[in-house]
Amino acid sequence: MKLRDVDVAVIGAGPAGLAAAIKAKEAGASNVIVMERTEQMGGLLHQCVHNGFGLFYFNEDLTGPEYAHRFIEKAIDTGVKALLETMVTEISPDREIKAVSREAGFITFKPKAIVLAMGCREKTRGALGIPGTRPAGIFTAGTAQRLVNIEGYVPGRRVVILGSGDIGMIMARRLTLEGAKVEAVVEILPYTGGLIRNEVQCLHDFDISPLLKHTVTQIHGEQRIEAVTIAQVDESKRPVAGTERIIQCDTLLLSVGLIPENELSLMAGVKIDPITAGPIVDEMRQTSIPGIFAGGNVVHVHDLVDNVSWESELAGQSAARFASGVKAVEGKVRLRAGKNIRYIVPQTISGQSEVTLYMRVSEMEENVHLQIGDILSRGLRVVKPSEMLKIELSSEHLKRIKEGTTEIIINCEKRRRKQ
Amino acid sequence: MDGRTSPKRDIWSPVPKKKGVKAYMLKTEVLIIGGGALGTAIARGLSRYKVKAILVEKDVDFGWGSTKANMSIVCQGADSLEFRKEYHRTRLVQESIPMMESLCSELDVPFKRIGELAVFFNDEGRAKYEKMKARAESVGITTHQFIDRDALRNMEPNIAKGAIGALYDPNIAVTDPVRLTIALAENARQNGVELITGTEVKAIAKGTDGFEVKTSQGIISTEFIVNAAGTSVDKVAAMVNADDFVVYPVRGYVAVLDKKVADLVNHEVHARLEAPGENNIITPTVHGNLFIGTPMKLAKRGEHITTKEMERVTLSNGRRLVPDISEKDIINSFTGFLMFRNWELGWHECVVRPSRNVPRFINVSIGYPGVSAAPATAKEVVRLLSQEGLKLQEKPDFNAYRKAIADFSELSDEEKQELVASDSRYGHVVCRCETVTEGEIVEAIRRGATTLDGVKFRTRAGMGRCQSGFCLPRVVGILSRELGIPPKDITKKGHESRQLLFESKELIEGRR
Amino acid sequence: MTTKEKIICVGCPMGCRVTLTISNREVMAVDGNKCKQGEKYVLEEYHNPVRILTTTLLTQGSSQRLLPVRTAKPIPKAKMMSAVRILAKVRVKPPIKIGEVVAAKPSGIEVDVMATADLLS
Repeated sequence: MKLRDVDVAVIGAGPAGLAAAIKAKEAGASNVIVMERTEQMGGLLHQCVHNGFGLFYFNEDLTGPEYAHRFIEKAIDTGVKALLETMVTEISPDREIKAVSREAGFITFKPKAIVLAMGCREKTRGALGIPGTRPAGIFTAGTAQRLVNIEGYVPGRRVVILGSGDIGMIMARRLTLEGAKVEAVVEILPYTGGLIRNEVQCLHDFDISPLLKHTVTQIHGEQRIEAVTIAQVDESKRPVAGTERIIQCDTLLLSVGLIPENELSLMAGVKIDPITAGPIVDEMRQTSIPGIFAGGNVVHVHDLVDNVSWESELAGQSAARFASGVKAVEGKVRLRAGKNIRYIVPQTISGQSEVTLYMRVSEMEENVHLQIGDILSRGLRVVKPSEMLKIELSSEHLKRIKEGTTEIIINCEKRRRKQ
Repeated sequence: MDGRTSPKRDIWSPVPKKKGVKAYMLKTEVLIIGGGALGTAIARGLSRYKVKAILVEKDVDFGWGSTKANMSIVCQGADSLEFRKEYHRTRLVQESIPMMESLCSELDVPFKRIGELAVFFNDEGRAKYEKMKARAESVGITTHQFIDRDALRNMEPNIAKGAIGALYDPNIAVTDPVRLTIALAENARQNGVELITGTEVKAIAKGTDGFEVKTSQGIISTEFIVNAAGTSVDKVAAMVNADDFVVYPVRGYVAVLDKKVADLVNHEVHARLEAPGENNIITPTVHGNLFIGTPMKLAKRGEHITTKEMERVTLSNGRRLVPDISEKDIINSFTGFLMFRNWELGWHECVVRPSRNVPRFINVSIGYPGVSAAPATAKEVVRLLSQEGLKLQEKPDFNAYRKAIADFSELSDEEKQELVASDSRYGHVVCRCETVTEGEIVEAIRRGATTLDGVKFRTRAGMGRCQSGFCLPRVVGILSRELGIPPKDITKKGHESRQLLFESKELIEGRR
Repeated sequence: MTTKEKIICVGCPMGCRVTLTISNREVMAVDGNKCKQGEKYVLEEYHNPVRILTTTLLTQGSSQRLLPVRTAKPIPKAKMMSAVRILAKVRVKPPIKIGEVVAAKPSGIEVDVMATADLLS
């Protein structure tokens, strides 16, 4: 395949990129490539040795590597070409890609369509501004996961984990199974930040009680971390004076947030949603630039890889159609986040095809009413920011959209008790 | 001459001691204590002459003291209200202004003339700057000019609405202080100076023909000493009663903003608030980030910590100048110390002179602006050494030029293509945030980086928005491979700062 | 004498906190669950809590340091730590295909341990 003949170029060969590329081939694109900066396809799935993947997509309980294997095999079978150890350094608004690799050197070409599937990165100590010294022994949870599960090192034996999101909880279990002692899991909110399944199977199973409404206020140790100071926080998440105490440790893991990696998207001039930090997309996952599509964590951070795959398939399919000259239906209806809704993806819909809406709430609430304009209403027993909501709009629902509607507001409010 | 900066231990010759304990000994004419911007500049200055010189630095790499906490602004000096034209510091700083650009050019170190805007919000503020302009002019600095509200807004569209004007100095520039320090060290070494890292001075004794300096690696016999030991300058001087000055530790704080908000300011922008020395500075860096610096305060020596209060004050002061600054854009922050003399009394004078008590012992402490004043200070120290009796004979083969490690991210498409074709390791991007390739990292290690921070300061790998989250395992792997030591032994910054404490299964098997 | 045992049901995101009333090791009552599946789950969890164990094995003669593995069936929750200690001593050599049994019912684990990735070289 010559680069100038590429129909669809997918940036990233993690679960999002692979799903998009496979679907692009299935949708009829002849020349589809994935451009991946590491030495293999599969992305971060390789370091996720735990199970819980594919429960919905495959109806099986798979580990990360097993989930990756399925998509890698399918990609190869369907004829997706992989440019590995290839780093895309630039994407221009008119879809020119510049990349560099050991083998190919410096390459530049213009595919007919691009799918952005770069995933996300972790929030750092530097960005949080945790006070104290700058010793060795501080890692984000994902980096620690790579060290433990791929490189073959256990960073330390007395670990404090800041943040009880899924990756933090998963690493609490993983490190315990590798012989380390998790001294504390510190969480700023009054509830854990991940799936309840992980709270039980990663914390309770190992007698780890998360310290809720606490945060790390100082790091100690000059060469290697020696301890952290933790303190209780008030409703505004500010440390309460007098509640400080010291926890000795030799390692600090940070699981404090994931941010879509949109450096290339910004270069291409794609419009970014300030709340998701990802591209604004329509139901076919086209960004504000025709011919540039996006799917997976680069659009918004998912909880389940199953949804990453489904979403990215939309992007891949659309990219293939675009490459063959089919014009996409414009998204005329803007979806707006109302009460207790943090964001919705896609940000716009056409109102003419069935569509799945993904959204997150801002705060945890029980017994709520989810109201999508006046076209759909659903009661939910509990909603949590860390558990993405998935709502399917069927053609029945779409029929209720009034002619000329340009905006639908989505609200999530506490249900009023029936008399 | 490959610019290596860390000679192996075997340069020390063993000297049998009384109790059968071997000690290592070196003999030299000039010993420079401290490998920061000043120490290495002096080493390079001395390397022009046929003088035997050794520099010792206690950290495992150069510039890790005050230098690495520098705000990277150079060609300053006429920009303080407390400018005293009769001060020695004033002369050193002023003389350095025209020297810096050519120095950076010779050493292949980034240098960008960005200009400075000293902003004021009322007539009182303007009056202060008029005084400053007059003082600068009295020593021959005539580049300052007042600009009005409209011109200011043209130059800085994001400046606070209340700013009514600014004093503009087009001279001000930014560089990379640690890269400059490393470049000075490499060039000094190229020209014959021995530079030894990981070596701390423990005691100094006066001998018959000079000094006996006990270090953590062995004994150095020397005729002259240049004490440029930064935050330990007074401690080192006290070792031989050469401390005829007092300095106070003053700590500052810098927040680093993401490159994506680089457009918020185009020049170095600052406003003097209340007290002397209170400086709120926002500056573009030579690499495309923004630095916001906060007023410095007296602090406990060695307490290298950041606090939430520092962050709060810095952001709040920064927003008074540029309201769109947001803590969401902070990717890192750091702290550092300077040594000031008359902190209580107002502005301060430097110490660049032979000790009054001890001949041939030269104390060097600039405080602020240390990196800026380095070029002229180096020249001055060489002159002082000569005054103290050092024979100076120029080297005809002195090579002022040193080439930097290729900066892949800054190359044009054609240059990138050529570089990758010549060495495929330049095609392997390791640090994705700053686009740093394996080729650059290998070269950094070849030139003396033995730690993660050493690679970071030479290549920027780990300085981006993911703060080494992606590249840490890979850089550890490359360091391990190139140095031939196990990944477990790779440290963040030398000594006890190993990152990976255990190998897989060591703990669970109960082996450790 | 009756005792109370609290179990969180992980069947759905609700995470109902279910209280079991126990008498003589027999479950007399189940309270707090909002659905029938939940009751089934907590009863199983009380009588015989089991987990799929996932971990890594050290390799020999491979450029890949570790092989990710899983138990073919869930094992008793209480045996997870002893299981990883046993597996810490196991070394695997290439070639191994995903799904292959790399340790057949090791003593102390009693279920097969399978590779969840290839180990080709």
